Amino acid sequence: MAHTADSTHPTPAILAEVKPAILPRAELVEHNRDFSWITEKICGIIEGKTPTWWWWCFGVACFVASFTVIGIAYLVATGVGVWGHRNPVNWGWPIVNFVFWIGIGHAGTLISAILCLLRQKWRTSINRAAEAMTIFAVVCAAIFPVFHVGRVWYAWFLFPIPNYNQIWQNFRSPLEWDVFAVSTYGTVSVLFWYVGMIPDLAVLRDRFYNAGNKLRSSLYGFFAMGWRGSNRHWSNYEMAYLILAGVATPLVLSVHTIVSFDFAVSLIPGWHTTIFPPYFVAGAIFSGFGMVLTLMLPLRAIYKMEDLITQYHIDCMCKITLATGTMVGYAYAMEFFIAWYGANPYEGFAFINRAFGPFAWSYWIMISCNVITPQFFWFKKVRQNTTMVWVLSIFVNVGMWFERFVIICTSLTRDFLPSSWAYFSPSIVDIFTFFGTFGVFSVLFLLFIRFLPVMPMAEIKAVTPGADPHAGHAHH
Amino acid sequence: MKRKFHHPAPSETELKHGPKYWRSLDELASTPGFKARLAQEFPEGASSIEGVDRRQFMKVMAASFALGGVGLAGCRRPEANILPYGKSVEGVIPGLPLYFATAMPIRKTAIPLLAETHQGRPTKLEGNPSYTPHGGASSLHAQASVLDLYDPDRATAHTQDGAKLTSAAVNDLLAKLGSDYSSTGGAGLAFLAEESASPTRARLVAKLRSKFPSAIWAEYEPLQDEPPLAAAQAAFGKDVKPLYRFAKAKRIVSIDADFLHAESGSLYFAREFAKARKVIKRDDPMNRLYAVESTFTLTGSMADHRLRLASSHMLAFAAALANNVMGSSPLDVLSQGLDFPRQTEWLEACAEDLRNHKGECLVVAGSHQPPAVHAIAYALNSYLGNIGLTVDFVAVESSPAASITDLAKAVKVGAVKSLVVLGGNPAYNAPAELDWAALQKSVSSVIRYGYYVDETSAAAGTHLAAAHYLEAWGDARTVDGTIVPVQPMILPLFGGLTEIEVLSRILGEENTDPYSLVHATIGKLTGGDETAFQKFLHDGLLADTTYPVVKVSFDMKGTGPLFKSAPAPAALSRSNLEVRFATDHKMDDGRFINNGWLQECPDPISKITWDNAIFVSPRLAKELDILPKDSLIQVARIGLADSDRGVEMAPVGEVTINGRTVRGPIHIQPGLSNYTIVLPLGYGHAVTGRVGEGSGFNAYSIRTSTTQAFATGASLTLTGERVKLANTQEHWSMEGRDLVREANLDEVQDPHGAGLAFVNAIGLEAHSPPIYGEEGEKMTLAEKATLTPRGNSLYESPDYKGLHQWGMSIDLNTCIGCNACIVACQAENNIPIVGKDQTLRGRSMHWIRLDRYYSDGKADGRAMADLFGGEPSGNRDIPEDPQVSLQPVACMQCELAPCETVCPVNATVHDDEGLNVMAYNRCIGTRYCANNCPYKVRRFNYFDWNQRELDKLYLGPLGPQGMPELVKMVKNPEVTVRMRGVMEKCTYCVQRIENGKIQHKVKMAKAGRPGDVVVPDGEIKSACQQACPVDAIDFGNILDPESAVSKAKAREHDYALLGYLNIRPRTTYLGKLRNPNPHMPDYDKMPFSRIENANKNHPPAAHGEEHGAEESKHGHEETGHTSVKTNTRIGGLS
Repeated sequence: MAHTADSTHPTPAILAEVKPAILPRAELVEHNRDFSWITEKICGIIEGKTPTWWWWCFGVACFVASFTVIGIAYLVATGVGVWGHRNPVNWGWPIVNFVFWIGIGHAGTLISAILCLLRQKWRTSINRAAEAMTIFAVVCAAIFPVFHVGRVWYAWFLFPIPNYNQIWQNFRSPLEWDVFAVSTYGTVSVLFWYVGMIPDLAVLRDRFYNAGNKLRSSLYGFFAMGWRGSNRHWSNYEMAYLILAGVATPLVLSVHTIVSFDFAVSLIPGWHTTIFPPYFVAGAIFSGFGMVLTLMLPLRAIYKMEDLITQYHIDCMCKITLATGTMVGYAYAMEFFIAWYGANPYEGFAFINRAFGPFAWSYWIMISCNVITPQFFWFKKVRQNTTMVWVLSIFVNVGMWFERFVIICTSLTRDFLPSSWAYFSPSIVDIFTFFGTFGVFSVLFLLFIRFLPVMPMAEIKAVTPGADPHAGHAHH
Repeated sequence: MKRKFHHPAPSETELKHGPKYWRSLDELASTPGFKARLAQEFPEGASSIEGVDRRQFMKVMAASFALGGVGLAGCRRPEANILPYGKSVEGVIPGLPLYFATAMPIRKTAIPLLAETHQGRPTKLEGNPSYTPHGGASSLHAQASVLDLYDPDRATAHTQDGAKLTSAAVNDLLAKLGSDYSSTGGAGLAFLAEESASPTRARLVAKLRSKFPSAIWAEYEPLQDEPPLAAAQAAFGKDVKPLYRFAKAKRIVSIDADFLHAESGSLYFAREFAKARKVIKRDDPMNRLYAVESTFTLTGSMADHRLRLASSHMLAFAAALANNVMGSSPLDVLSQGLDFPRQTEWLEACAEDLRNHKGECLVVAGSHQPPAVHAIAYALNSYLGNIGLTVDFVAVESSPAASITDLAKAVKVGAVKSLVVLGGNPAYNAPAELDWAALQKSVSSVIRYGYYVDETSAAAGTHLAAAHYLEAWGDARTVDGTIVPVQPMILPLFGGLTEIEVLSRILGEENTDPYSLVHATIGKLTGGDETAFQKFLHDGLLADTTYPVVKVSFDMKGTGPLFKSAPAPAALSRSNLEVRFATDHKMDDGRFINNGWLQECPDPISKITWDNAIFVSPRLAKELDILPKDSLIQVARIGLADSDRGVEMAPVGEVTINGRTVRGPIHIQPGLSNYTIVLPLGYGHAVTGRVGEGSGFNAYSIRTSTTQAFATGASLTLTGERVKLANTQEHWSMEGRDLVREANLDEVQDPHGAGLAFVNAIGLEAHSPPIYGEEGEKMTLAEKATLTPRGNSLYESPDYKGLHQWGMSIDLNTCIGCNACIVACQAENNIPIVGKDQTLRGRSMHWIRLDRYYSDGKADGRAMADLFGGEPSGNRDIPEDPQVSLQPVACMQCELAPCETVCPVNATVHDDEGLNVMAYNRCIGTRYCANNCPYKVRRFNYFDWNQRELDKLYLGPLGPQGMPELVKMVKNPEVTVRMRGVMEKCTYCVQRIENGKIQHKVKMAKAGRPGDVVVPDGEIKSACQQACPVDAIDFGNILDPESAVSKAKAREHDYALLGYLNIRPRTTYLGKLRNPNPHMPDYDKMPFSRIENANKNHPPAAHGEEHGAEESKHGHEETGHTSVKTNTRIGGLS
């Protein structure tokens, strides 16, 4: 800077340069915890004795997960008829569940990728768990489209494998786009998660080696891929991570856009809507953050990680939830406006029927959970009350499930010809299979917190004051 | 190909003396490679064996052994015997079906048919086109009857007291019966038979009477479907029956007559009726139908003026009408007590209309009505000069049979020692006061001949298995008297007997073979001309054997006694209800109870499957407090169907009349006379097969011989229970949508109006950019089918370069909703049934369905007005007196099919002839296509319907698997039987199309014109088209401007359902017309559905300036752009 302060001159009335006061930024790691504390805290979860509560939770989760396994086995052996589908509601709960889970999977990559590119440092302590959540949610999501087909043993027809009949896939079908979108998303999410974990895996490797646990040391070592933490490693790692963040960023938008095409590309009133892609993406992020809050708040309490997941983190997530929830609310309103403005009686009916038809109950659950609930986050007091935040996040999850239910079921039950109109209700198998996926998710998540570092130690350390070369000095 | 070892090396002498041969250039050149190979006997791979040990040999050969073991079982011959297909019927080409003429006898008529047989097994029935009055059409029951042949639950053996009887034993039994009674002249012997139109049976019965003069020959039919002879006797002094010529009738009054379905000859009448209803050009005449009825029949649904009136008031109505038509008549007194709203105006206007059409109008009375009503109808027809023009009277033989009541009396006094029950099911459907089952048990020896082991068999010692008509030789007469053969297509599957064989054995005839019996009967008529007999069998009819038309003159005096005992119409109320025992649309008299196709076919009006119900009017429902509460706003109609999550939960009621009570679910049926409750007959069998078990309730149990059709003095109480009814259509309103487009004839014929093009003003497409752009105006239909003029689309349309472009046109104006197409499609395309439980779950599989909408002109769809104030819409309740609009819907074969774009695996694609085809093997069952189909005509196999028992679907692999052999036999071998997990839908009968193309190609190649492969119009018919009794369906090549379908589509009132979606359906509809009389009190300027459409889309509040301009463009100012106030309709007698 060219300017040098000259103290001999009197201070002019108007400053030559404005020096904005620096507001103290919220600490990302509170109580000035040092590197060692962070390492001990996070590795301690893995190295410590398996807590009893974990076994209980794991047992219950396995039991619940068995519902899905049994439900799917029964379905494959018997036929799709064991679900509640009917004419004209040929997609029911399974697709609702699919979109629900895939939506949840959005927060992880958003936090990891977009916030990484935007240099939002507060992402660090929540991104690992959020990414894991993404992957497990994609696993749960993938179960439904695969098994909802009538002949799952031919599901490989969906992949462009050269075959004797020379029948190619139909690349005009949004379902085919789904196949690529979801599998790409799944792959990139796993890669991103894994690459980000390598330095931490190396830490675990070394610690287990030092503790004399050869087996675990070599297992972590295998996955740490020979990480030594050299400058070159770090340099390559940072670049790889950045590239992956760049690759993953469009995926955050594309996956749910394409999932929304499943509906938007069709001609069913209530589905045939151009607002769907942005509306679905906003909804997905909304639900994703809802789920992150649902999971992180108990985790934070159990492992006493208030210093790592600070009030500031919670605040940020609440604000994003508020923003996306409001976007979703705007989309709901806009759908009605367009239905009216479009002057197509079929479209108009679809939306009136949504709000006042036989499925009105589900519509109003959706509205209250998705539009009203996030408005509480305007208030700082609410954001600071973790119990309240957790309860509200549950409402968000419920609301977003109902959003998909409303879109799929109300539109299909009453479309063009009133002669085909019908009501939809799920079968017990529907309910149990969906319920079981929470078990599947929990099993995976419990294994994750038990065996993998739930937070990126390296990255957290990087955002602590200790990582700053000028640590302990003034901010200049 | 010869191997090298076939050419051994030459011997030494040959080498020395013979010519030098070499086997190849290699040998000549003596290459080392050749020398090496020469040494090997087996060239390829043999060297690897050479010089190896046994172990190595085994290794090399192991694969061969294994293959040999798997594939050929050691070259042993199969142990089971196989029968060569060496000798076969003449003309059989394996793989191609053969057609034989036969006929389905039912009561006093028969439907001439052609049976399609594959390797000797009948799979499908079609109408016999040689019988011109039917023109190749067939009925619902004829279509479904083939399934009965392969019913695993039919009687499969003759039994006596539970033990099986051999055929020889049966023959002895029957012969003994005859000889036992020959000495007594038949005293103590009694027969109870069904009515029959078989000349051979008539001949044998006559013989029986002469051989056993003291025996009782009684006939009983639970349904009366021909006008009572007593009326004709009284009116004309002759045994004649009316044969209506509906095609010539411009004005028709139906007095409780369902001549389109329940009357005998309904197929004949429906065709004639449709001819006078078809409108091709705007000035074409169209008949006008006044229907007065208590229940809601198909005839009533076609009516231009429908009056709801109790069946017991029909006599008064007929008398009042006669009074009005004739000015005055002695019958005036009979009309006392008749009371319906605006009665005078109604009767005067109707009478005036009839008087203006003397000689070209027709009054028809329902067969179940008492003779007095028929006498008045005859009087009216006579007065109006219709006899000989719109109605002929033909001579019929009166049947001298005793009634079942006479027989019952004889049994009671012990005059019957042996009873032979030929067919029927009296223990189930005899008048209740007879208590037939007990009566029958009191007879010491009862031989029951029947197709099923049923209630009557349970009360009989001996059961003789009857043959299906497709297994039996016989003959019958059609409604106009033409004699038709009943030919067997297959040997009786279970050794069943035919009725004439049973009779001839009892008679002790020398020749009891049914073929010979028929041969003898026909021989008498043809003078023993063998060629004529062959022609009779070949054509399926004996020409010029119609009943003779008799000249009759009406005699009022003769009818006097008929009116004497006529009761005055009773005032009906909730406590004094009328019960109408109605012919069920599907079960007939109950004989089809075990027919799955019919059970699952929805009733055309109520849409109920698998059950009957107590039908009550909305008024009565309101008084009983079972009318569902209306919705908050009209558009949503929550609760209107009174459904629990989409399932009709019918309250159970008890109908009591004269101390007899029957219990059943109550269905609220619009359009019924207010205090008439309708009980469809034919359900509720105590002993039946697996399909019919537990289906419905038995209304016969409260029906007595004096109240065969209707009775008054009934009460209905609620039990508080609710049961599920499998109703396939939950929603009854069209919601003001442009689906069935209707207009009144006077609007169409208004010279200032849009004419038949009214359909264009109704649709949403009227307000959307034209699909084909401005150029489309100049394009022919053929060009529209093949070119893709749409602008800026990313996608190319499918390649429509095929020589044929298939299309269909459905005339909503003539469709009577008979359901024949639905079952014809089911039979042709191997469509499974899914059972009541799965129907309740919304999974029925019909490829074509019949949508039924009620409209009362009140729905205006102004939901927003309801929500945010303003005048609330009127239509919240189930209408009491609706108009019905029917619409058959199958896959439309959209050119830009929305189902195709969304299938991820290309399992549903377009072919170059415009068919939307399904590759079942490719389908993985994502069901996206079904979601995206705006017509919802795609059907998904949620379970393995064909392989699993319908009540054990949820057991999955734990349940039994496999299709019974007998059921397999009914499957059409040309159509894939779909497995679970795949989507299916109408294909325009692609198997018929391909067959037609191949046959035409072969024919042309033989004729020396191999290039001429375009199939002429009419050679290929889809199953629905072929069955349709009223020719409402045209199918063919739309590239050919002369084809029937092209002509139909070129008509002005052709429109595409949901055409605005630009999916370009290949099936289009012809708009529906109504022809109300402007002078009638219930006249409305527009059909109700049209009023609803106008009110919905152009509500008065929103009727702004901008629409004024459009009105002139769309022609007639009332074609859809003004809100219309409904006239009040005329309710029933209250």
